[in-house]
Amino acid sequence: MIPAKASRRFSRRIRIIAVGLLTLSSFSLAYAQAPQTAASIPDITGSWERARDASIPAQPQPPLKPQYQKEWLAKTQAVREAAAKGAPLADRATLCLPEGMPAMMGATFPIEILQSKGQVTIIEEAFTQVRRILLDRPQKAIDDVEPGFYGNSVGLWEGSTLVVDTVGVRENVVFQNAPHSANMRIKERISLGANGILRDEITIEDPEKLEKPWTFTFGYRRIPNYTLLEYICEDNREYADEKGQQKIRVAAPENPGK
Amino acid sequence: MNFAKLAMRRSLCLAVILFVAAMAAEAHHSFAMYDHSRTLTLKGTATKFQWSNPHAYLEIDVHDAKGGVKHYTLEGTSINMMQRIGWRSNMIKFGDSIKVVMAPVISGEPVGLLLEVTLANGETKQLGVPASDTFKRTPEQEQRP
Repeated sequence: MIPAKASRRFSRRIRIIAVGLLTLSSFSLAYAQAPQTAASIPDITGSWERARDASIPAQPQPPLKPQYQKEWLAKTQAVREAAAKGAPLADRATLCLPEGMPAMMGATFPIEILQSKGQVTIIEEAFTQVRRILLDRPQKAIDDVEPGFYGNSVGLWEGSTLVVDTVGVRENVVFQNAPHSANMRIKERISLGANGILRDEITIEDPEKLEKPWTFTFGYRRIPNYTLLEYICEDNREYADEKGQQKIRVAAPENPGK
Repeated sequence: MNFAKLAMRRSLCLAVILFVAAMAAEAHHSFAMYDHSRTLTLKGTATKFQWSNPHAYLEIDVHDAKGGVKHYTLEGTSINMMQRIGWRSNMIKFGDSIKVVMAPVISGEPVGLLLEVTLANGETKQLGVPASDTFKRTPEQEQRP
């Protein structure tokens, strides 16, 4: 027989150990899920779709300098007229090319955001586009970034807002047909609203082409339990002919897809 | 109002609709090459259902009363979009008897934009074409091939 006092002491020790173990395990679980320790950083990991919410302002036209504005209006008009005539102009999507920055943030298809230690990764389902935002690092000089579709993105959490800076987007990777220089800089402020809408306020700075910075906002709403699907742009039977018009190949190719 | 004015107003309206549709599709290439003013309903045999991106394609043979066969190539939407509205790659198999509603290509080739399919099991499925209501449906009895 164990004396009653010793038994109580024993069970109290067991309780202390159990509570300690539980605390420890929930700590490590929390650490594994959200590596950033600051309490203000929101959990934005998961799948999102574009939300055209009333709180999101309408997108303005690019404030291009007059000489570029003229070309842009002519191009926009040509695209519109060609489509109205049923002979659309081919664009980069006709060539199966991914959108790049900042167009991919327009989320034609759902996006997935992953928060990991030192990095926020954004994947867009269409064209399986991936951008990596490296946290708490200095931005490189533009000349040190090889021009690409997504550029070099660095970010930091200012309270609950992820502030991102991107440089090094190739000049032929354009958004809304607006020309930009090699020195374009894309600034983003990503924040989660109380209404559950995630906002990405994007400001494009490009003094060579723009009269003033071009700011617009994309909104996103969570899609619970949605896993992004595979997307490989494999066989576009539509193609650009010698006049730049979109045409379609009638005969089926030998064996793409199944 | 005279006829020219009316026609102009109509084409202006159409241009606005098409522009809005194009803006909605944004990153995707245009469906403007397809006739928005009429549809064709075809009954035929599937020879291939290509499950691919950027779009799926359906190949069908349509038999006429005189024993002739006309082959059509039909463009679908992205298989990602199709999966989100319940499509699966095995829903159409080689040799399946199917019925389709399509918007023919303006250039006159035997090509169309797939708007709706009635599968071999009798189930009718839409393709999820953006702004599909801008494609005017022609009743089957009024159609001209």
